[in-house]
Amino acid sequence: MSSLSGRKKSIPQLAERTSGVANPSRRQLLTTGLAVGAGAAMAGLQARPAAAAGDPAITEVQDWNRYLGDGVDARPYGTPSQYEEHVVRRNVAWLTADPVSSVNFTPLHELDGIITPNGLCFERHHAGIADVDPAKHRLMIDGLVDTPLVFTMEDLKRFPRENKVYFLECAANSGMEWRGAQLNGCQFTHGMVHCVVYTGVKLRTILEEAGVKTSGKWLLAEGADASAMSRSIPMEKALDDCMVAFKMNGEALRPEQGYPLRLVVPGWEGNMWVKWLRRLEVGDKPWHHREETSKYTDLLANGKARRFTWVMDVKSVITNPSPQAPVTHGRGPLVISGLAWSGNGTVKRVDVSIDGGRNWKTARIDGPSLDKALHRFYLDIDWDGSELLLQSRAMDEHGYVQPTKNELRLARGENSIYHNNGIQTWYVKADGVVENVEVS
Amino acid sequence: MSKFLKVATAATLALLIPVASASAEGDAAKGEKVFRKCKACHAVGEGAKNKVGPHLNDIMGRTAGSAEGFKYSKAMVAAGEEGIVWDEESLAAYLEKPKDYIKGNRMSFAGLRKEDDRADVIAYLKTFSEGTESAAAAEPAAGPSQQAAAVSAPADTNMADAPRPTHGVFHLGRQATAEEIAAWDIDIRPDGTGLPKGKGTVTQGEEIFAEACAVCHGDFGEGRDRWPVLAGGQDTLKAERPVKTIGSYWPYLSTVYDYVRRAMPFGDARSLSDDDVYAVTAYLLYLNDVVSDEDFELSSENFTEIHLPNEGNFFMDDREEEAHYAKKDEPCMTDCKPGPAEITMRARVLDVTPEGGDDEQGGGAVD
Ligand code: HEC
Ligand code: HEC
Repeated sequence: MSSLSGRKKSIPQLAERTSGVANPSRRQLLTTGLAVGAGAAMAGLQARPAAAAGDPAITEVQDWNRYLGDGVDARPYGTPSQYEEHVVRRNVAWLTADPVSSVNFTPLHELDGIITPNGLCFERHHAGIADVDPAKHRLMIDGLVDTPLVFTMEDLKRFPRENKVYFLECAANSGMEWRGAQLNGCQFTHGMVHCVVYTGVKLRTILEEAGVKTSGKWLLAEGADASAMSRSIPMEKALDDCMVAFKMNGEALRPEQGYPLRLVVPGWEGNMWVKWLRRLEVGDKPWHHREETSKYTDLLANGKARRFTWVMDVKSVITNPSPQAPVTHGRGPLVISGLAWSGNGTVKRVDVSIDGGRNWKTARIDGPSLDKALHRFYLDIDWDGSELLLQSRAMDEHGYVQPTKNELRLARGENSIYHNNGIQTWYVKADGVVENVEVS
Repeated sequence: MSKFLKVATAATLALLIPVASASAEGDAAKGEKVFRKCKACHAVGEGAKNKVGPHLNDIMGRTAGSAEGFKYSKAMVAAGEEGIVWDEESLAAYLEKPKDYIKGNRMSFAGLRKEDDRADVIAYLKTFSEGTESAAAAEPAAGPSQQAAAVSAPADTNMADAPRPTHGVFHLGRQATAEEIAAWDIDIRPDGTGLPKGKGTVTQGEEIFAEACAVCHGDFGEGRDRWPVLAGGQDTLKAERPVKTIGSYWPYLSTVYDYVRRAMPFGDARSLSDDDVYAVTAYLLYLNDVVSDEDFELSSENFTEIHLPNEGNFFMDDREEEAHYAKKDEPCMTDCKPGPAEITMRARVLDVTPEGGDDEQGGGAVD
């Protein structure tokens, strides 16, 4: 049963890691950090007084200080340092029948700022990653329009463009936590969110090109993959801030994010951001397709279900420290860091509690505060080494306050799967180990 | 592990023994029919790609777990490392009881009980292996929708001397043709908009379901392994673990037709005819006790008369009215709750975090 609490690795490895010689994986470090008792762990990791001979990292000439590195032709498409190998998306095998229709999670605890690197954006697809040849990709607009149209990728790149930073959150993010604390790591509890800068064309511009008839109140967006993913979107939203994007963080969309074309539906559940977008149909009523009936409806305790729960509510999570990122440095200065977002707009304020929600301090939001984008917050504390029950609570520009998990359960029961934006609690023990818990 | 060793030895021996003595000669033509059971997950023939399972070209002589680019289970890779190479004997053993032959492998297929079926499908697969007959029966690599996508634009409106279209603001793109719209616009709405002409009975549907769907969803829609459950679950929506199926949860029948036609069978989408989809939909109604007559025929004529039992239990998003959102008060900052916080639940108690060594199943879902 044990995972992060597995007691397998021994102390020497930890010592090696801190002296910069070996390269154990993060996981080894983690297991080690957790395995050893408080005293030993702290001794290994705290700044040690220099021995008489001095720190070998300084006194000995390192290889990289003597020998030449790779030339400019060695890494035509750069990848992260070998020491960052552990920073990857991970999946939870038991969640789904097959990895082809499944999900993996962004390693939030390893990231900072508000932008997610392309290769770490979580993936959710329903029939695997479609491998679409952009030369054969078409976007069709049909239905209640003056002129049904077909665009090539080249056509689309001739419309005026815009650049926007938006978060994308799967409606099922934190869905495994409805019945209680289950997964140890914010990668697993909150990792179905990412935030990148999109380049593309306003959906409105493209719809105007075809001419939406006045009876056109709904839009069906459809993908080109083997699930032919389809969702109904109200015209109001389509004409407001939706985009048809072909770039993320400056480069072409990644295949797993819908290359060559995806829909951007800011602030609304990720499933609607149809990837490999190939068709937009204008209609007068919603379609009630599988992803808006069987899935992405929220079953309440009374057996009735909400439909069309599009907006992702105000939410936040502390990414560091967290179960996969324990405190390894002992008492003293500690940076508490996290992410906050709201599908309604910007985040106005984030409060952090270290005593399980009894008292709160307002954290510092650093970096840009953009509409429907991730916000980065920090609370810099002087940790006295005592146990902490860390929580964060976000409030958006419209005054919506992130609820507790129990408030959500009271209103909805435990079978909703989707839209769990409840306050997360991390239990930081005296030895720095962190666990996912719930508190009274 | 000892099981592997035994198996590995058998496999190695088999390589030394002349193949003919290993099993009865199968019939490749009959094997092609048997292969329909595999098709949902495996492709074979020219241009075959990995699907839910690896492609099966050149399977004879392939080390288990070694098709390029396919993500095998650890068990399958280990089997290859232990020396399992696919030949008539090892294939026959594997296909008889996939779960027993390689413990922990991920092929969720119950197996071929009949010896003849096994021999036939192996004979069929042999025709796609190096040094045997050429892949005459090759499947086309692209599905119908892909072919439609590849049709090139009838008029290249981007050429400088072509007449500029008059639509819209930027005059970009070109008018879609009726055939193009028909090829892609296959969606259906609860009011029946989009339904193609056609029909199919419960009995016909049962046959198609057994062949194309049951490997994953089970003969009665009960769902094998972790594949989705399609039937039953009535009166469980208020239970601790609701079972949400077409009969217990889905509001509209049109969704079944639309979804099966666009996305099923998984890995072989768009392969059923419109009549097939009517038949399978009729069978799903039968499995869910919405109709009880095996001769019931579902058609474009009577489709919208059928209502699913849970239709009335959906309502529009009203989250804003929940107490915690409605109040919009300034949140409390000090002494917000009496007494120190008590831990009421810990993830460690039912730790199902990946990489814990256990492949245990947790609760909840991401669907
Ligand atoms: C429900 C999906 C599914 C069905 C149906 C299915 N398979 Fe598989 N098959 C798989 C998967 C997944 C694997 C890989 C297993 C692993 O990695 O553990 C596999 C592996 C195999 C392998 C081993 C290939 C290799 O490269 O080592 C063979 C051979 C095979 N299947 C043959 C068949 C045949 C023949 C049938 C039909 C009689 C069939 N399978 C039906 C999913 C399926
Ligand atoms: C290879 C396994 C496989 C086969 C064969 C298969 N399915 Fe599926 N089916 C799936 C998977 C996986 C999903 C869920 C896909 C997703 O994640 O979006 C699914 C989903 C469904 C659903 C929606 C379930 C829900 O609760 O939302 C229906 C209905 C369905 N399949 C019907 C069929 C029918 C009818 C056939 C035969 C024509 C078929 N399937 C064949 C694997 C399969």
